[in-house]
Amino acid sequence: MTGNQYKPCGTIDHGLGRRQFMGEFLTTAHVSAGALVGTSLFSHPLGAGQLAANGRSIVVVYLNGGISQFESWDPKSDLETGGPFRSIATSVPGIHISELLPKTAQQLHHMALIRSVSTDLDDHGLANNLVRSGRTTRSATEYPELGAVVAKGLERPDFPLPGHITTMVGGVGGRANNAAYLGPRYASVAVGAEKGGIVNTQLPEGLTVAVDSRRHDWRRFVNSRHRSRVQSAEMDAYTQTFEQALRLMEHRELFDISQETDAVQHAYGKSEFGKQMLLARRLVEREVPFIEIQHAGWDFHHNNFEFHLHYVADFDGPFAHFLTDLQQRGLLERTLVLVMTEFGRTPTINAGYGRDHYPKAWSIAAAGCGIQHSAVIGSTDAKGIEVTERKVDHRHLFHTWLRAVGIDSSGHFEIGGRKYPIADPAFGPVEELLA
Amino acid sequence: MTIQPDTFDPRAARPLSDWAWTAKLLCCRVDPTGRCVVAGAIDHTIQRWDIATGNRTSLIGHANWVRTLAFSPDGNTLHSGACDGRWIAWDIAAEVPQPLQTIEAHAGWVRGLAVSHDGQQVVTCGNDRAVRVWRATDGKLLRTLAGHPHIPYCVQFVPGTFEVVSGDIVGNIFHWHADSDQPARKLDAAEIYSHVGDLAPFGGIISLTFSPCGKRITASGLHKVSNAPAGNRRAVALSFDWATGEKLPKQECLRKDLDATMWRAIYHSGGTLIGIIEKEIGFWNPGEEDVFHLVPTPEHIFDCDLHPNQTDLYTAHFDGHVRALRLK
Repeated sequence: MTGNQYKPCGTIDHGLGRRQFMGEFLTTAHVSAGALVGTSLFSHPLGAGQLAANGRSIVVVYLNGGISQFESWDPKSDLETGGPFRSIATSVPGIHISELLPKTAQQLHHMALIRSVSTDLDDHGLANNLVRSGRTTRSATEYPELGAVVAKGLERPDFPLPGHITTMVGGVGGRANNAAYLGPRYASVAVGAEKGGIVNTQLPEGLTVAVDSRRHDWRRFVNSRHRSRVQSAEMDAYTQTFEQALRLMEHRELFDISQETDAVQHAYGKSEFGKQMLLARRLVEREVPFIEIQHAGWDFHHNNFEFHLHYVADFDGPFAHFLTDLQQRGLLERTLVLVMTEFGRTPTINAGYGRDHYPKAWSIAAAGCGIQHSAVIGSTDAKGIEVTERKVDHRHLFHTWLRAVGIDSSGHFEIGGRKYPIADPAFGPVEELLA
Repeated sequence: MTIQPDTFDPRAARPLSDWAWTAKLLCCRVDPTGRCVVAGAIDHTIQRWDIATGNRTSLIGHANWVRTLAFSPDGNTLHSGACDGRWIAWDIAAEVPQPLQTIEAHAGWVRGLAVSHDGQQVVTCGNDRAVRVWRATDGKLLRTLAGHPHIPYCVQFVPGTFEVVSGDIVGNIFHWHADSDQPARKLDAAEIYSHVGDLAPFGGIISLTFSPCGKRITASGLHKVSNAPAGNRRAVALSFDWATGEKLPKQECLRKDLDATMWRAIYHSGGTLIGIIEKEIGFWNPGEEDVFHLVPTPEHIFDCDLHPNQTDLYTAHFDGHVRALRLK
């Protein structure tokens, strides 16, 4: 599945907007500034080397478009708002989730549910930015997304892979603009899970490794000479991208899930999502700090129940097996797994039997390291309209995820002589969610 | 009851009754003797209205959304199917109808249900992809018809026989003979099937109905999908010659741009096709592609049925109302 193709609302939120364009410009500008002054970007006492020692990772499964909390983590039996799906018992006594998640229900003892997320934006693009950056989007500053912050925070010297990877099935990959002032080094790199891993990484026929190596040596020489005379953020970004691409090529086998046994591939399933989850497990094994899997198209303004019947089933099996696999391999104790989305869906069922955008009361699920297992944070009322207990928002959660993997979210980045708090300093983590 | 199709005139449509319930309605049927109309609701109830008086009675027995209803030919038994997976038979003539029998018919939702011409058999289909034929009197399972590659959405008996037709959500119509558990033939209606990504089917065979002479079978649903999660689609009916399986011209609403699924299409005894299109009711002459008339209603319609007098059309609405139009 290539998630960015969906525009169910018919908006242009997923297109290149002004902020994104400006972000691109500012990103390169910040890189330039950082390079010019040569500062350490991570000035908090909790240094990058210390963090890297624990090999922690965050895996985000991003359900793009807004999964319904009613049909997943916070089912209701209310006749008006609850919908036709029932709740089922889980591996944690007393906690029930939607019947659409029977396999995940058996993994809930590794998980925590946050049922009291309340935000205030119901536009896809803005809400995406909100939950990914842990900040309000109403400020003039572009903030790095969670993946970029984690890639920076868990960075270690000589790590050969990008620290911030987004998986995909097909496509040619590429680098996103989501690291803001941290620079493109920490922006997400999209890689595939099919066709033997990352595409377009084989040398053209007739081009030997030795000749290719000389080409790159020549490129480095020319770049270096030019760099000594002209400061160019754009060139720095390109140089960094070239070098990272070369490192990726050297590790292309990592992205080839066909190297797994048939039994393992079968266990994850043949779906696009299953293949991406398997790739994510391989990346976790290699201690990639941040991996995102996109499962897109959840914006069901129409036919919500029929679509959730199929979509949640597609999610349930591979996700549950992913947790099992991590646990059996001893990886879950150093991996935080998050099931995120940009907002929930309305308690009101519309005339197309759909649910619309609803940021007021929704849910996120987490599993793995650094969090309380079997926990349920907060609650909503019987109809799912209001948060009735422990209201939290994207800013609390951003702190929480960082703390769960050992990054002190009260620290700051120092770039070009200016201090940037790692997370919104007016907020803190959800302490009772942390292990 | 005397049928007077010559008096049928949709252009003369006028409101006849409007009865309200508190929950959204998903389905409705009119008693073949013309005494009552029933509707299934998302509050797990079935509501019965006496057509002569408008008095309402609740039928309590299901534990989830009531999706499908069918009367026995004598009108004494109502059969219902719901998202609780149950088929319930009701003594519908009773003052307060109670379940005569409750059968766990399918794993997951019961999607469709129909009664044979003699009332002796009931056929159901559900989320477990099975089509099941039952003895109506005691709920004994007679046959399980497996073969649909995806969820069958609706079922019918071939008029006057125990043969079954079933339509699924990926556009297959299967014809099952009474003496075989294997489909005798398949009609391909994939053109009224769409999907979201590779994951979720959208559309398919939403309803099936035979023309009055039995020579044509008509599937209703949707096509021309431009954005499924947002509901951008057009309503359509697709017919086949029943004897040859030949596909006949589609019937849709060309004169008005309506985002709609045709949740049900039925035939008037005179041959006019009646289809519900969002908030409107469309009428097609046999063989004509576009509607010859549209009748607007106040709310989204999810099911409809004709009174045996063939002039009163009852519709179940999203706002919990059952409305009736007199079409003459």
